[in-house]
Amino acid sequence: MAQPMGDSHRRFLQAIMSLGIVDESQANALHRSCCEQHGVNYDQRSLDDFIGAINVQLQPVFIQIRTGNSEEDGFQYRALVNMAETDVTRLSSDYAENELELFRKTMDLIVESESGSASSMDILNSADTLLTRKLKKKEAELVLQKFVQDKWLNEKHGSYSLSTRCIIEMDQYLRNTYQDLKVCHVCNNIALQSQICDNPMCGIRIHIPCVARFFKGNSDPHCPECKDFWPHEIPEIQRPPSSQ
Amino acid sequence: GKEKANQLQAEGSLFDPAAYAEHLLSFMGFNRLEDEDDNDEELTGFLPSDSWQRLAKRASGCFRTAPSFHYMLGSFLSEPPQPKQRVE
Amino acid sequence: SSQLQRARDNFTSVQVDHKAAEVVQFILIKDQKKIPIRRTDIAKHIVKEYRAVYQDIMVRVGLIFERVFGMELVEIDTKSHTYILINKLEPTTEEPLSLNPKIGLLFVVLSVIFMKGGVIKEAVLKNTLKKLRVDFEERHDEFGDVKKLITEEFLRQKYLEYTRVPHTDPPEFEFRWGIRAEKEVSKLKIIELVGQLHNQDPQIWTQQYREATSQSSQSSQRS
Ligand SMILES: [Zn+2]
Ligand SMILES: [Zn+2]
Repeated sequence: MAQPMGDSHRRFLQAIMSLGIVDESQANALHRSCCEQHGVNYDQRSLDDFIGAINVQLQPVFIQIRTGNSEEDGFQYRALVNMAETDVTRLSSDYAENELELFRKTMDLIVESESGSASSMDILNSADTLLTRKLKKKEAELVLQKFVQDKWLNEKHGSYSLSTRCIIEMDQYLRNTYQDLKVCHVCNNIALQSQICDNPMCGIRIHIPCVARFFKGNSDPHCPECKDFWPHEIPEIQRPPSSQ
Repeated sequence: GKEKANQLQAEGSLFDPAAYAEHLLSFMGFNRLEDEDDNDEELTGFLPSDSWQRLAKRASGCFRTAPSFHYMLGSFLSEPPQPKQRVE
Repeated sequence: SSQLQRARDNFTSVQVDHKAAEVVQFILIKDQKKIPIRRTDIAKHIVKEYRAVYQDIMVRVGLIFERVFGMELVEIDTKSHTYILINKLEPTTEEPLSLNPKIGLLFVVLSVIFMKGGVIKEAVLKNTLKKLRVDFEERHDEFGDVKKLITEEFLRQKYLEYTRVPHTDPPEFEFRWGIRAEKEVSKLKIIELVGQLHNQDPQIWTQQYREATSQSSQSSQRS
């Protein structure tokens, strides 16, 4: 049964609104500080109930604080997401029409790549083919920068991938839109940045942090599906950033 | 000059924007450089790159601004990626 | 009135709640750029055939903002029915979570206007900002086009009013606080901060201090 909302919940919601996404240690710290500021007993174990109470109230307006995992570090994050696709939600003014078209082209490039990333050159070239209104190279570079700043894309050495915030919010959209979208063999979540089985008849994907956990201490790793040798480097398990 | 300005302020409601600007500059971490040509009008020096952030941080306590909601899903019409259309 | 009663009979409570939720979404979206929201837009995009129960819908919308988001939907113009959202929660004493350097600039502009008695000439503002290395005519690293930000964006958001001084040739302009600033910004906190920056008791500015305390007692009565 959901607890009613108090100012501590409202402050937590407002914080998530302005940050967009938080990792688990940030979420815990926020939970604690929101409770302390409004004189509410803080119980570290009750974060899920605390968020649940907010989500019950957000449901009628199709907004949710949703939990998901990062493809890069494997840790849990909480993001505030929109769930509705209507004439009203399309009134959003954060991006111009052609900027959104560039975002979709970027998603196409990333999802259809093997590496789960797209080079800035490929993206900028696609900016030349926009149907709404073409973007000059300089403009497109600025738009990409804005997507990174707003936490929709990640950038590393000139190559772009979908951010954790983007994957959490767009999960169902990505699954509906891209027919050949692969999910991780271990965790069942969308797998973009991942290792792929070399066997062309198999080709399953496993996230890199999932690989680390799945093959931990295994000196002779084999594909869990086709049993072929797993020919990739097995990374170390990353430790979560400690709370505080 | 400065003492007199302070005195005037102490007496009443006079507020001097120029003196205020100097106080703001020192709060914002202004780096004063030695001024050779004895020019009182404009201080020579530079502000560090985080100076406005610093002021914003302090000033945000005066504002009761509501945070705003940003999202990507639903901001465009969803349709499957089109096979490259030929534009005549 | 019986007419309103008849209108109410046409819609179930569930339907009105559903409309209210849509209006909340709409207002959240329109607030992304902090530009006031007009009733005509709410009516055109959302309320449509529910026009007769508009007031009922808006009462529920106000409750959702208050109870779920900790915000207040304020009608800033009762003639044209224009709304803004402001925060009902006190600003935290903790580190702010995300910072927009524009808040710093806006603080400077608003504090100078307030401390000078509510109105300043454009030239005064330009000179003050120039000392802070912000030039109206030049691109600023953080603020971009400063003139546009101050005389267009802050105006549209209703933080500032910018009017021509009558009978001036060449024309002179002056700045005042806009209606959003009046609702959203605490004069008492401004004068306290200005006092700290001067290392002085803010009460030495007797007029301004009186005005600041009267604003804060009014807003505490309201909530
Ligand atoms: Zn996985
Ligand atoms: Zn395999």
